[in-house]
Amino acid sequence: MAASTAADRLRRLEMRLSARAMTVVCAALVVLVAPAAAQADVTVYFLKGEQVSTVSRPGTTAADAARQLLAGPTEAELAQGYRTYIRKRTALRSITVAGDLATIDLSLPFVKGRNANNLRARLTQVVYTLVGPQGVKRVQLRVDGGTVLGVFPSVDTAVPVTPSSLETPDTRPPDETEPPERVERKPAKPSAVLDAQRRLIKLHYLVKGDADGKLGPATQAAVIAFQKWEGLQRDGVIGPQTRARLAIAKRPTPITRGPGRRAEVLIDRQVALAIRNNRVTRVIHVSTGKPSTPTTIGSFRVYAQFERWWSVPFSEWLLWASPFNAGIAFHQFPDVPVFAASHGCVRITAAQALWMYRFLEVGDAVRVIARS
Amino acid sequence: MTRLLAATVVACGLLVANAHAAPPPTITAGTLTVGVSMPSDGFQVGVVDGSRVIFAAGLEIDLANELAGRLELTSTTLLQSAFGDLLAPGAKPWDAALAQVAITKARGRNVDFSTWYMRVDQGVLLSQYIERTPRSRAGLRALRLCAQKGSSGARAIRRRVKPSRKPLLIDDVPDLMLDLQLGRCDAVVDDLPSLATAMAHAPRRYGALAGVIRTRERYGVVLPQGSELKRPINGAIRTMRTDGTIARLERKWLEFSTAKVRVLK
Repeated sequence: MAASTAADRLRRLEMRLSARAMTVVCAALVVLVAPAAAQADVTVYFLKGEQVSTVSRPGTTAADAARQLLAGPTEAELAQGYRTYIRKRTALRSITVAGDLATIDLSLPFVKGRNANNLRARLTQVVYTLVGPQGVKRVQLRVDGGTVLGVFPSVDTAVPVTPSSLETPDTRPPDETEPPERVERKPAKPSAVLDAQRRLIKLHYLVKGDADGKLGPATQAAVIAFQKWEGLQRDGVIGPQTRARLAIAKRPTPITRGPGRRAEVLIDRQVALAIRNNRVTRVIHVSTGKPSTPTTIGSFRVYAQFERWWSVPFSEWLLWASPFNAGIAFHQFPDVPVFAASHGCVRITAAQALWMYRFLEVGDAVRVIARS
Repeated sequence: MTRLLAATVVACGLLVANAHAAPPPTITAGTLTVGVSMPSDGFQVGVVDGSRVIFAAGLEIDLANELAGRLELTSTTLLQSAFGDLLAPGAKPWDAALAQVAITKARGRNVDFSTWYMRVDQGVLLSQYIERTPRSRAGLRALRLCAQKGSSGARAIRRRVKPSRKPLLIDDVPDLMLDLQLGRCDAVVDDLPSLATAMAHAPRRYGALAGVIRTRERYGVVLPQGSELKRPINGAIRTMRTDGTIARLERKWLEFSTAKVRVLK
């Protein structure tokens, strides 16, 4: 009896010890694993310029990703140029994952607004963010529990949407040699145009060979760039005021100093300066980010060059693109108004975009300056 | 005697005023229940749950609200429906329906129509893969033409173009436009305002607007047969045509000008 009691005590002691050991092991595992779990991230998609751009946020599930997306960029991210096109009051009503399909139900502000580009961009953000966590490959959108019909131009949201359906260009790439833009203004007299062109070449708004006596798209863009630099009315017309200023104007100078080939984007004047060895090679008429999506101020470098770059969120081709800050790039665009109008990129007319593309190379410095 | 006459005049005046203020009979008192068939770019898009419409926007949605207001009804309820069901014989769960429905005799056998609120022709929108723009209906014959099944576009292809290749008839408009974008259709024939609005929203996804086939169709409000609303709705629409309300809605929702569109003969 005594022997058995001693044996029982020994067994109980062993059990207690092994239980403690297990507890210690478990605690150790928890200590080891917990930070790993805390470090797990989901990828959230915002926009920079014309392209999606990612940030990492804590979380593991599609629901985590959705919540982080709806929270929007932080102040620091906004300063870096991240933007969201999802309306502030959009709320997550529910999200379920079954197999590779995530069904997300958002509140009504998600479908409000009539800007086709903004609608497409916000849908892209949701689909990209939800695909990945928990093996999600397709996203079914619901709004207030209902099926969305015809709200997102060219995207059928009655059925699940995949990233590839958004990524596949549904329009063929434009030709490299675009037809010249139509000039609808009344042309100036040939001699007056020729005189202006010669001055614009000397002042580095046009390049040699551009003096043809015609008020074509290159000349018109150069006149607008000149008017912007000189603080004249931006109408592209070689009127008396512009002619008078052309006679006395000097070659523009860079705002900052730096070595070799580089570019400055002057937000206040809406021009870009192509610079070589601290001398302006050409002044380019540009349109930067509009007030709601301003071009990020700072120093960057061209990190790639694309003859044709497909913008997934806005579903359009960008020609002669030189991105320098994630999706923010110099690129050709059909519409380059005299004011800031882009999603953050630096739009250039067809007449000048190819020149800028060839001037810049990967690694070149780009400085975006608010006030010149 | 004078007092009696005055009292009678006042009483009659009150009766007339009350009769004028009384809203017309509707399925739900004080509410205009409107059948719609989403989506159609520019005219009606939104969010639905079965037949319940959660959110809707577009020219015909604004038009429905205008009609309700002019009939002195306090609210509008929208009911989503298949296009074919709007025109099928039988009882209707709505007071009126709006879905770019062209007034035809054949359709008039099952339902009543109001007077027209918009006049339209059939547009021909080319795929971006078609290099040469046809300048006549004869030029369309060799193309693979597409239209929505049972639509005026399908009828225009059959009767006015008489194509050499069998046209592709597709059930719903989103699929139709996707087929055009992807080049499975060489051209789509559909109501000009719809095509022009789709093109305005995404100009680089389509080819040229080749022109219009003059069909001079008229969109009317669909009404259940024998509807008592026909008369007040006709009156409201005529007023909206003359006071510029419909022109204002067109400017608001349809982003195009048909002034320079070629007529395909």
